[in-house]
This record gives sequence, C-alpha cells and structure tokens, in this order.
Amino acid sequence: MNQHIKKVYVPMTETAFYILRCLKQPNHGYGIIRTVEKLTDGEIRLAPGTMYGSLSKMEKDGLIQFIREEDKRKIYQITDLGSEVLQIELRRIERLYRIAQEEM
Amino acid sequence: MDTKKAFRFFTLFEYEKEQEYLREMHRSGWKFVRVSGFGIYHFEKCTPEDMIYQIDYNQDGIAHKDEYVKMFGDCGWEYLQDYVGYSYFRKPASEAAGTEEIFCDSDSRFQMLERVCKGRMLPMLLLFFCVFCMLLMTRKFRGSNILALVFVVLFCLYSPILAMFALQYWKLKRRK
Repeated sequence: MNQHIKKVYVPMTETAFYILRCLKQPNHGYGIIRTVEKLTDGEIRLAPGTMYGSLSKMEKDGLIQFIREEDKRKIYQITDLGSEVLQIELRRIERLYRIAQEEM
Repeated sequence: MDTKKAFRFFTLFEYEKEQEYLREMHRSGWKFVRVSGFGIYHFEKCTPEDMIYQIDYNQDGIAHKDEYVKMFGDCGWEYLQDYVGYSYFRKPASEAAGTEEIFCDSDSRFQMLERVCKGRMLPMLLLFFCVFCMLLMTRKFRGSNILALVFVVLFCLYSPILAMFALQYWKLKRRK
C-alpha cells in the first residue's frame, strides 16, 4: 500500500467507511445511500454530490472497481486493496473503542 | 408566459451566494430557467415556493452525464443544466430533510473547491504567469506598455477572485 492511500484513507471519512463496508456486496451509489440510511435508522443520509465524488475518487485510487451498469447506475465492488484499507481502519476503530472502555 | 432576464455576476467561488440568489428568486415567484452568456439569468413567473438550489462542479460527472444526473435524480434533485462546468440542481424544501445539500461532509465540500481551483482558476493563473514572464522579458527591450496594461487589467480582475477563494476557503474551514 502506498503512502498516498495511507494518507488519504487512514483514518477515513465516515462516507468512505460506509462505501467500503457496503461494497462488500456489489451495489450502486444510490443503493449505498439507502442501505446506510436503513442501517443508521435514518440518522445518516449521504448526499449525491459527496457520493459521486467519493466513488470516482475511490475507483481512481483502486479501492473499488466498476463491475457493470444497470439502468444508468454504475455498480461497484470493493477490491483487495479496498478490503485491506478497511481492515486497517477497523483495527483503528476497535482500538479506539477498547481504550474508551478501559479504566484509566 | 411571463419571463424575465437578469444580469448577475458571481465569481468562480461564489456558488453559495448564487444558490441563495436562485432560492430567493423562486421564493418571490421567479423560477430559474437557465443561465447563459456572461451571467444572464432567465426566469419564468411561478407560484412562490421555497426551493433549494445547489451547484456542483464535477468534470467527471459531466463526462458521464447519464449516471451523474441519475444519482442526483434518485436522491430527489432535479437536474437543470450545465454552465461553464457547473451543474445546477434543485429540490423543493418541503421534500428535503432540514437543510439538505448535495454534500454531506466537509471533505467533499473542500474537494469541490479543489475541482473549481483546478478546472477554472489554474488556467487563469497560468495566463497571468505567462503575461508576467513576458513583461519581465520585454522590460529589457523597452516598449512594453501594452503588456503592462494587460498585466494591470488581469491583476484587477483576478484580485477579487482570489479574495473570494480565500473567503470561501475560510468559510468551509470554519464550518468544519
């Protein structure tokens, strides 16, 4: 993993996290927006400008890949590099959570 | 149908102000139809409504217009037009959740600012730099009055744009 990826995605934005998490299964941008809305009980509503920009950026960075198009919606899936970045991020969040629970 | 035209000039980075302007017009019964030429805004009489207007700058999106417009459409944003690289969208405030925007985090707002810088300000600055270099070179041979004039004109044009960039950057920073 190169320095650019580390710098941009560790830690990553909440939007990037949800995109990578959702793209373990193939999905399109709007599908991700709806899934996240359901998962968070409507608390997090990702916006289309943010989603579109993030998807193109993550595709360029090789974290996700385009699979096919359905009814003008581009369907993506996470790549190996994307999974690796997500794992690093999960470990970071787990550590935060663990430390938050510990007695100081 | 009742229509009207208005001339308004917004610098590269005043898209938030422009969004507010269009919203205000719609609220007072003038629906935005299109913008053309050098800042000529076309409006059509309508029943006053609180309509949220949003502007994006995404060359990637314009290159893949179908899927770009589709994603905004899926989220309830009506696509209006492209104008020198900016894309215009609107959504009735009654359908929007609170103060809904097309960006939901500060990273993506900054990325839009970056895209405007790269797409619109960089070419301008290059031109400025070229004129400046030519000016330096011709100074040695005298008779560079016209170039000097061009330089001063460009400088006067660019200063407010740079100031607006700084202001917009500072506003986004503060929002973070």
